[in-house]
Amino acid sequence: MELLAQAQQFISLEGWDKEGLSEMKQQQQKDLSSREKFIKSANAGKILANKCLRCGHIMLETIYYCEKCFGNKFEPVEFEGIGNMVTYTTQDVAPEGFEDTESYAWVVFKVDNAPFRVSGFLPGVKSAKGLSIGTKVKVSSFSPKHGLLLQKI
Amino acid sequence: MKDKVCVLGAGSTKYGKLNDSIIEIALNASKDAIDSAGITPNDIQAGYISNVFGVADKQVHMAPVILSNLGIPHVPGLTIESACGSGSVMFREAYANIAAGFYDCVLGLGVEKITHTGTTQSTTLFSYCSDFFYEGGNGASFPGLFASIARAYMTSYKANEEDLANVAVKNHENGILNPKAHVQRKITVDDVLKSPVVASPLKLYDCCPFSDGASAVILCNEEFAKKVGRPYVEVIGSGRGASPAAVQARKDITTIPSTVDAAKQAYKMANITPKDIDFAEVHDCFTIAEVIDIEDLGFFPKGTAVHAIREGATRRNGEIPINPSGGLKSKGHPIGATGIGQVVEVFEQFIGKAGDREIKNAEYALTHNFGATGASSAVHIFRRVG
Repeated sequence: MELLAQAQQFISLEGWDKEGLSEMKQQQQKDLSSREKFIKSANAGKILANKCLRCGHIMLETIYYCEKCFGNKFEPVEFEGIGNMVTYTTQDVAPEGFEDTESYAWVVFKVDNAPFRVSGFLPGVKSAKGLSIGTKVKVSSFSPKHGLLLQKI
Repeated sequence: MKDKVCVLGAGSTKYGKLNDSIIEIALNASKDAIDSAGITPNDIQAGYISNVFGVADKQVHMAPVILSNLGIPHVPGLTIESACGSGSVMFREAYANIAAGFYDCVLGLGVEKITHTGTTQSTTLFSYCSDFFYEGGNGASFPGLFASIARAYMTSYKANEEDLANVAVKNHENGILNPKAHVQRKITVDDVLKSPVVASPLKLYDCCPFSDGASAVILCNEEFAKKVGRPYVEVIGSGRGASPAAVQARKDITTIPSTVDAAKQAYKMANITPKDIDFAEVHDCFTIAEVIDIEDLGFFPKGTAVHAIREGATRRNGEIPINPSGGLKSKGHPIGATGIGQVVEVFEQFIGKAGDREIKNAEYALTHNFGATGASSAVHIFRRVG
């Protein structure tokens, strides 16, 4: 009987109160893997990080233990996916899966207001000459095919 | 450490595009090392194998296959992978097992076969050695990763593309004298600068080739070496280091922390300093890597290596000869074998078999090899005996 009720709830949300729905959403969020959470934030133009509840150190969501004190209790912190390029390259031979893209740059950028850097894929770059260290970029989304997509701003 | 560790024998196939299967390539180098040590396979008590892309030639679980074909199927083997640093990381494990007294004599063999896969697939396979979620998965190739390191270095220390080209010219000059080298071709700075861009700012001649090949050594304790009575080389320092796997996680992109740590350990164990080293084989997968290596190893202060290279300090007759074998740039880079190939060069130098590339009166040599963009490193120091 209980199973049947659960099945009905999955088929239709009818009968769920707001509290139940919120719990389910929280559970779904909890069930996401670390990388899935990072990707979800990236699709909203954000970079997801964790703040260590023991020492306050902030690091990328994808790291499982605090780099400073090795604690594993965190509070999520989202940063705007905006920052300045620290280094970059354009490549004439691309790995498989990237052959169909127009020339692109692989970029490392320092995330504004965060103590870390992130790498991403910046499409539509014909030549490295069009870029320079310090160029401002922002996260546009996460593509299953090309990773963390960036754009110049 | 219980026992002194010695290199009693060494051998390499030619590096380049080889037609033999990966197992045959491995066996050919093993046979050369066994013969050069003056032992038989029956003396080998364990086999340490380094390899990365065996699957590309339809063979994993490589150690038992190689040992079986050497006629010693009862000997335990272990296959080790640490990207481009697999050879030196494996050497360290073999070294540690001899030093601890587990074995008297072991085979250390590195092998790779990759050229049959073609440039795009090789580039792709290599990208799996990166922190893929942040690097390969965002389109970075290995030339791309090192190009990003080069750009950061050139910006920080006002180096230019000609400074990088000087490394390639010097290593090709050495590689011409190495009959086992993959690319035996004299090149000029102009050749490097005019070669096609692979990943800006690195050009074709800034990059090592994809190579097939194998290198092998026989490692043993001092008592065993003396009993055999052949020339041998002593391993007097061993260090291992690690760095954040992704370039983005390095505080300073112009240094490789794993190299610095591994070198400190090796110098301390050997009780010598960088000034005592007479020549070094370092990991020059790209020209920028050699520049950074020789600073991280303590041969030159940070930001000054390009000036020293320009003045000839790293040539065979210079203050500290770097990569007399031709390095990865000219000798080639069969990634599972590279770290062992460096030890083969040291062995040949110290027993008088390096021919025209011999560094005269050398007493101490250093090998340095890393995986990926330096996530894993190993440094070893060797002393000539007799």
